[in-house]
Order: sequence, then C-alpha cells, then structure tokens
Amino acid sequence: MPFPDVKLANRPLHFLYLCDCSGSMAASGKMQALNQAIRQSLPGMAAVARDNPEARVLVRAVRFADHAAWHIETPTPVDQLEWRDLQAGGITAMGEALKLVAAALQTPPMEVRALPPVLVLISDGQPTDDFAAGLEALLRVPWAQKAVRLAIALGHDADLEVLQRFIGTEPATAGRSPRRPLQASNATSLAQYIQWASTAVVGAASMPASRVSETPLEPAAGNIPLPDLPPTVLDPTDDVGPLVW
Amino acid sequence: MSWILPEGASLDFEGLAAPLQIIRGLGGGTQGQVYEVELEGERLALKWYLPACIARDGGLERRLIASIRATAPNEDFLWPIALLRASPASRPLIRIRQESFGYLMPLRPPAYVGACEHAAGRLAIGLRQVLRACFGLADAFHALHLAGLCYKDVSLGNLFLEPGSGGILICDNDNVAVDGADHGAVLGTPGFMAPEVLLGQTRPGADSDLFSLAVLLFRLLTRHDPLKGQMELAIRCLDEPARRRLCGEDPVFIFDPVDDRNRPDPIEHAAALITWPIYPRPLQALFEQTFCRGMKQPSRRALTGQWKQELARTLDRRALCPACGQENFQASGAPALCWSCGAPLPEPMKLMLPHGSVLAAPDNELHPHHFDALAGEDLRRPLARVVAHPQDPRRLGLRNLSASAWSAETHDGRSQPVQPGESCSLAALARIQSPAGPIAVQRPTRPSPAT
Ligand SMILES: Nc1ncnc2c1ncn2[C@@H]1O[C@H](COP(=O)(O)OP(=O)(O)O)[C@@H](O)[C@H]1O
Ligand SMILES: [Mg+2]
Repeated sequence: MPFPDVKLANRPLHFLYLCDCSGSMAASGKMQALNQAIRQSLPGMAAVARDNPEARVLVRAVRFADHAAWHIETPTPVDQLEWRDLQAGGITAMGEALKLVAAALQTPPMEVRALPPVLVLISDGQPTDDFAAGLEALLRVPWAQKAVRLAIALGHDADLEVLQRFIGTEPATAGRSPRRPLQASNATSLAQYIQWASTAVVGAASMPASRVSETPLEPAAGNIPLPDLPPTVLDPTDDVGPLVW
Repeated sequence: MSWILPEGASLDFEGLAAPLQIIRGLGGGTQGQVYEVELEGERLALKWYLPACIARDGGLERRLIASIRATAPNEDFLWPIALLRASPASRPLIRIRQESFGYLMPLRPPAYVGACEHAAGRLAIGLRQVLRACFGLADAFHALHLAGLCYKDVSLGNLFLEPGSGGILICDNDNVAVDGADHGAVLGTPGFMAPEVLLGQTRPGADSDLFSLAVLLFRLLTRHDPLKGQMELAIRCLDEPARRRLCGEDPVFIFDPVDDRNRPDPIEHAAALITWPIYPRPLQALFEQTFCRGMKQPSRRALTGQWKQELARTLDRRALCPACGQENFQASGAPALCWSCGAPLPEPMKLMLPHGSVLAAPDNELHPHHFDALAGEDLRRPLARVVAHPQDPRRLGLRNLSASAWSAETHDGRSQPVQPGESCSLAALARIQSPAGPIAVQRPTRPSPAT
C-alpha cells in the first residue's frame, strides 16, 4: 500500500533577475551572451528546485533601459519558465528597476512567510536615473533587506561602486573576504556566474547545505551563508581566447 | 555544469595499474564533483574535490586513507575504495590549476533514488518499505558506531532509497572519523544538526549522530520536520538566524508531551498529524526520548540498538486493514481502528516465536533474531515469509525461505514436511517445527467484527 499521500510543507523562494538592456549591451554580443547564459542555466536551476522540496522556486525578471518593465511578471516555477530574448536599446534606468522590485517585495503581494528572496542585478554600465532613490526605496522593504543580493558586472565599463551599494557593504569576517560584485569579462565567466547564482545560491537559500567550521554560523549580514564561487575551470574549447568585453 | 575532469578521456592515476576512463559527470555539490568511471571493465564512482574544499579541510586526506584501510562497516555504505591523484602525465588534462585529489567508491545502482524524492512525495513507496529503509539506516549507523566511528553529516541529501525493497545506500562518507579523535571541518547540515553542535558548544560525534539519525528517521516516517510547528509558522523569513533559533536556541519537538508551544498546524503541517498516529507507541517513545530529554542531554538520546529493535518490532506488527487494505501497525491486545479508513481491525492471527511474535500478514517475515536471543536484529536473511494464496488472498500461508525442511503439524496431530521454497497453508496448522525453532500459530480469541 502506498505511503499516505501527504505533502511536505514548503515556502516560496522568489528569484528575481534585474537585467540591464541599455544600448551598450548590444555591443560585442553581450545581450546575446546574457540571454544564452540564463537559458542554459534553467535545467540546472530546475534540478536544484526538484532536490529542495522545502522550497517552491519562483522566477521573475525585470528589464531596464529607457524605463524599467517586467520581462517576466508572474512568479513562475522554474520548470515552466521559457526565456524570451531580451533586446538591447536605450539608456540605463536602474533606479526605476529597483523601485519596481521594491513594490513587488511588499507584503502583499509577497507572502507572509517565505524563504529569503534572491535578487541578481546584471549591468554593463552606469545608471542614468536616480539610483540612490531607487536603492533607498528597495532597502526600506523588509523582504529586500532579507534578500540575498548579488551583482554581476559585465565588462570593464560597469559601475562597480553602484553594484557594491546594491549588494551592501559587509565587513570582512574572519577568513572571508568582503563580498564584491562578480566581474564577468567574457561569455564563459558570465555563464558560470549565472549558473552559480541560479543553482548553488538557490540551493543555499532553500535548504541548508553541509556546514564546515569556517562557515560562520551566524553570518554578519544575517541571511544566508553564500556557497563557494565555482572554481575557474579551464575551458578546453577556448583555444582562440574568449572575447573580452 | 563545468566538469573538472574531461568526460570520455582516460586518465592515469598514481597507484592505479590501469588507466581510468571518465564516462560522464553525475553531479556536483558543495564539496566536489562526482563522475561515473570505468576501471578494468568495472563501473565505479569517482568524487573529485574542489580545491577550496581541500584547503578548508586539512584532515580530509588523512581521514580518507584511514577509512579506506578500515573498510566499510556494512554493505550499505558507498565507502571509499582508493584515494586518487593524477599521474604527472595526466595532470594537464585536469582543468583546474590547483592541486587536487579524489576517491573511488561503488557506483549507486540506477534503482536507488535520492531520499529527497520520498520527502517530496514523488516516490511510489509503501509503509513497509519506508520502515525497512529506517531499519537499514539504524543498522548501518549501529555498525558504524560499534566500529568506534562517527558520520557527522547525516542528512536527506546523503541517503539513497530503493523504493521496491526499502534498501538504502549512504554516500558522502568522507567525514567519517574515529569518534572524538579527529576534528574534521564538517559540522553537519542545519535542520539535522544537534542543537549543541549548531550552537558551537561541541564538535559533531556519535552523540550528535544519534540526534541527526532521529531527525532523518522522523522525516522518512512522517514527511515532516520534527521541529517545524507553530514556532516555525511564527517566522516570516526562514533564514540562518531564524533556523538557529528554531533548531538551536529554543528547539521544541512538535509532539513534546509536556511542552505544547510547537504543535503542528492542522493545515500547514498536515503531513505530521496524519502520519504520526500510524506508528506504535514504543516507536513514538524513542522520538520523544531523543527530542525531549535528549534535546539538551546528548547521552539520553535513543541508541542505534534501540531503534533497530523497535523498528523491527514495528514491522512484526504490520497488518492489513480488511476494509481498505492499508498497512497498520497494531499494538498488542487492544482493539484498534484503521488509521486510514477508520474501520475496526480484527484481531489478527499471530506466529508465536521463541523471541517475539509476528502478525500473519502478507510479506511479513521471520528472521533468525526471532529464534535466537543472541542474534541481533537483521532483515537480510529471512527464514520464512507470509504469503497470500494466489487464488484466494484471504488464505494465508508461510513460505519456507530457509535451506532445510520444516515439519508442519495440524490440529489433529498429523504432520507433513515443507521443503525449502514451498509454502504451507496456515489455516489448518497448530505449529511448525523448524531447525531454527518452533513456530506456533495463534488464532484470534475474540471473533472478528462482521464486515
Ligand atoms: N557513489 C555514487 N554513485 C552515483 N552518484 C553519486 C555517488 N555519490 C554521489 N553521487 C551523486 O553526485 C552528486 C554530488 O554528490 P555529493 O558527494 O553529495 O556532493 P557534495 O557532498 O559535494 O554536495 C549528487 O547528485 C549525488 O547524488
Ligand atoms: Mg553531499
């Protein structure tokens, strides 16, 4: 006879991409690389979601150029997600994107109980609107304060200072260097960072992984201890050298 | 996934006479990547560590060498077979600059699936199989602890189940160490860690294994977490500090008989409320022992031997509801109702053995420990199994799974032999003489309720 048909209690885990779609993203295939990286990461993300029955992983995406708008507005289970290509063109309304996310993280529409949300901001340039006002609006929302905030800088023109303010300045704890924006200088490293954020970080936020003594049990920033970054795997197909942004 | 080892390539490793072929990557975790490999025609698994993991855990190589020398406590562990380092010639084929190593272990057969599949409710599995898997876990940790070792990182992620039989396999054995001797890097997995380890008061060892084992058994038996009740519902964002409070600073068992602050919520935690009453009182009592008094006093936690005994006894009490067919685990004596459909359960026919008794329900088994007081509970080599008649499932028989003939005695004193592999109908029998010992058939004393 079958085991009683009972479901494990679970909590939603909201995962949000904030994607820079300004005109500069059209250069050197950056927009295509980002579309590819996200699309390629989805099967791995779905596998992590399957392995973590305590979490209901739901994905959304915001695009920002002249204005910010939802690219995927409905929180969508990963296995039902279809990634439509983002198009580049316009300026960089990053502050507006943060305001849009701030509104979405209010309760309601956010659930009363959830796992820490994961916010991933990807940009290759500087905000052209009022970033500070957007960040302030975002960080007033409790769910945004609790969120795991990651930033990926594309190429050398990205504004690292702005991205650092988005993820917050966490003092260096013993044995750990302070968190910095991830710097992707080519399509391979962008894909690795997107994969890491959508698998390892989602795993860490949804179900705790094994702890080792060096992991501070009570992280200073107080949400989720981040997993190790992926090792730099030497790409055997990189004979000609990757295109550097 | 970016694989560190080249799929399809053959690599030479120090200490291996033959080259090892990397068949394909199987998965990656926080510590390393696991590959299916072939060595001299045999399929094995290879775990290759990330440099960050090796750097963090200075004792890793030493522990692995000790485990390989000691060999596996029993066959349910995917135990390390050999430590591997690339030969100078193969070194350039490994796609990371830093020095690293790995170990060979048996490959998990395809019928075994991750235990989280059961936790998520995606596995077709019966209560008998779940209880057998729980017994297998207790048995494996019994063997490990008796060898003076501890595991340290018990969690759902390190367990595989075979849903058809309830067989188990335990992976990630690289934290195993002599209890109390080696200060390895791992602390455990939050949610499974004993409170004293989570709070940093002690290092993981055999006592904290007992806590984590009880959590894992509870999760397999109930599909719920022993500490997630009202107190979890009061948490809005379930992050690290919240888990620390819930599982470390003020942990309360959801079925604590005295402290009712953390009772399951009828809607959010329905799984726990439906499944917990299925299990007999003595089994529930071991959870209470571990999660109430044993919560703060590690030496009071239920031991592996107690779990083995009570889980084996629970399987002996298995009976099928005549109305709905669901599996029930009946307390001796008292009349009971089916947990699933509420129908009254008739008093079952019982097989009385020198050490214990087994209810006559299809698939229930007699084992050497039912006959020999000195034999520890072991489900691997059944001597007999209750079987339903192929034409009339209500007629039960007993199949001789031993290597020698039995003598079955009827009420009128006649006897007939039952050869190995044969079954005898229980209806007419008074007792069976087997070389292991006598099996007496006890019929219900009260009439079964009309159905
Ligand atoms: N012996 C094995 N046979 C087959 N698959 C395995 C074996 N050991 C581990 N795996 C798989 O490899 C993946 C990573 O394993 P694991 O060792 O648990 O990683 P980590 O401990 O680094 O998180 C998992 O998907 C696991 O199911
Ligand atoms: Mg593991």
